[in-house]
Amino acid sequence: MRNPRLVITILLLAMAEVMLSFAARQATPDATLQAQLKRVFPGATSFSAKQPGPPPHFVAYSGDPSSKTIAGYVFWTTEAEPLERGYDGPIKMLVGMDTKGILTGVLVTEHREPYGYFSVEPPKFAQQFKNKDIRDPFKVGADVDAVSTATITINSSTRAIRNGARRVARAFLTPPGTTK
Amino acid sequence: MISSSPVRHARLLIVMLLTLACTLAIQPRVHAFPQEAAPKADDPWNFADEEEEVQTWSQDLKNQAIDLAALVGFFTLTLVGFFKKSERLKWITMGAAVVYLGFARSQLITVVNIFALTEWNLPVFRHNLAWYLFAIFTVVTTVLWGRLYCGRICAFGSMTQLLDKVVPSKLRFEIPRRIEQRANYIKYGLLTATVLYFIVTKDISIYRYVEPFWMFSLNASTGMWVGLAVLLVATIFVRNLYCRFLCPVGAFLGLLSNLTVFRIKRWSECNSCKICEKTCEWGAIRGPKIVASECVRCDDCERLYMDTEKCPHWLILKRKERAAAARVT
Repeated sequence: MRNPRLVITILLLAMAEVMLSFAARQATPDATLQAQLKRVFPGATSFSAKQPGPPPHFVAYSGDPSSKTIAGYVFWTTEAEPLERGYDGPIKMLVGMDTKGILTGVLVTEHREPYGYFSVEPPKFAQQFKNKDIRDPFKVGADVDAVSTATITINSSTRAIRNGARRVARAFLTPPGTTK
Repeated sequence: MISSSPVRHARLLIVMLLTLACTLAIQPRVHAFPQEAAPKADDPWNFADEEEEVQTWSQDLKNQAIDLAALVGFFTLTLVGFFKKSERLKWITMGAAVVYLGFARSQLITVVNIFALTEWNLPVFRHNLAWYLFAIFTVVTTVLWGRLYCGRICAFGSMTQLLDKVVPSKLRFEIPRRIEQRANYIKYGLLTATVLYFIVTKDISIYRYVEPFWMFSLNASTGMWVGLAVLLVATIFVRNLYCRFLCPVGAFLGLLSNLTVFRIKRWSECNSCKICEKTCEWGAIRGPKIVASECVRCDDCERLYMDTEKCPHWLILKRKERAAAARVT
């Protein structure tokens, strides 16, 4: 290079740019998370910080934020059911569940599934779990829609939601009446 | 016979299989929450199918039985056709590959599997037995015989080979040997670039632009379909264009096939004879040598070896016998 000073300046600027963009992304994770929590649990007025568990979870509160009335729980499937993996790693989903064991919403946030773009990405997939009772069978092809040619992805994500919700329920919920 | 140190190859194969077996054996036993006790017998939740969480292997197996049986049937067909060197069975296998593995199952070996391999992020074993059967069959056959997968199991490769059968040979353009031998290396470059891209960005969506296997799922954007159409039109003129020059999975299996244990045998006459070299549609025969990484075990040359009317080995033997018989009488 003819002008080393120019090259160094450009390099330094590029580094600064990269750092700034990182900082910008770091600055708002909480706002993003709050929006995501609200989406899977629209009925809640506020959420706790992440609780260690196990399994790790967020508590959803209803009514006046100061009253701390527990409305339900929100959890990441990757934390409640970490061993579940799809085609290439875990499918990261945020799941909300009320105190009766009814799912309030599911949000797919990250995945590395080759056929994810037409199986778990369309909102249709997450929507079918809303108002679903965790005592339902969660059988793909029966009460969960099957997507032909994306079996591994759909099966894995369904198992993650079901088993994660059941693990959280067993840890924190009181079984509704012992009606058995 | 050209088979450089079969003992070394066999040893390598055993080591590979043992590693695979060990990892698979360990995998299901890892638990994330060892401190969490198993559900108590008087679990008040009474989930309808709670036993699924401690599901026995036989139940898991039962759920996947049909898929597994169909796959075993397909592999049996493949191997029978391969061992009998039957051309008819090979075409039947390829037809089944397109219809069953392609459009019905749509789960081929893809570069995404290679991505997953770089992080050992594979699907849960007990829930995806069919996928493991498929992957292990592919690796094992490649190590034992070569790129059998590319030649007759891959649905896309089967489709282009069937296409080549239908297309009039007048349209076909044979690439000059020297260019072909260079172009063979493009796929290794593409494999390296794609895997590096994945390691750096962790973005798998690149697979859509380096391989066309998504076509069997029938879900794609217009741009992807246009790209595929261009590729298929080019394949009409240059046979198996994608498999020979571009496929990253083929490149990966090509690297693996350097270990091939049971290679195609060569006669001493092969040093001068060019029949097989001219017949090979994959450009895998160069003089007396068969390049393992390009060979897909299509059987074309092996059928020639067996042909006592065409192969010089047998013709020379016959001539000698006749001469010997003449001398006796």
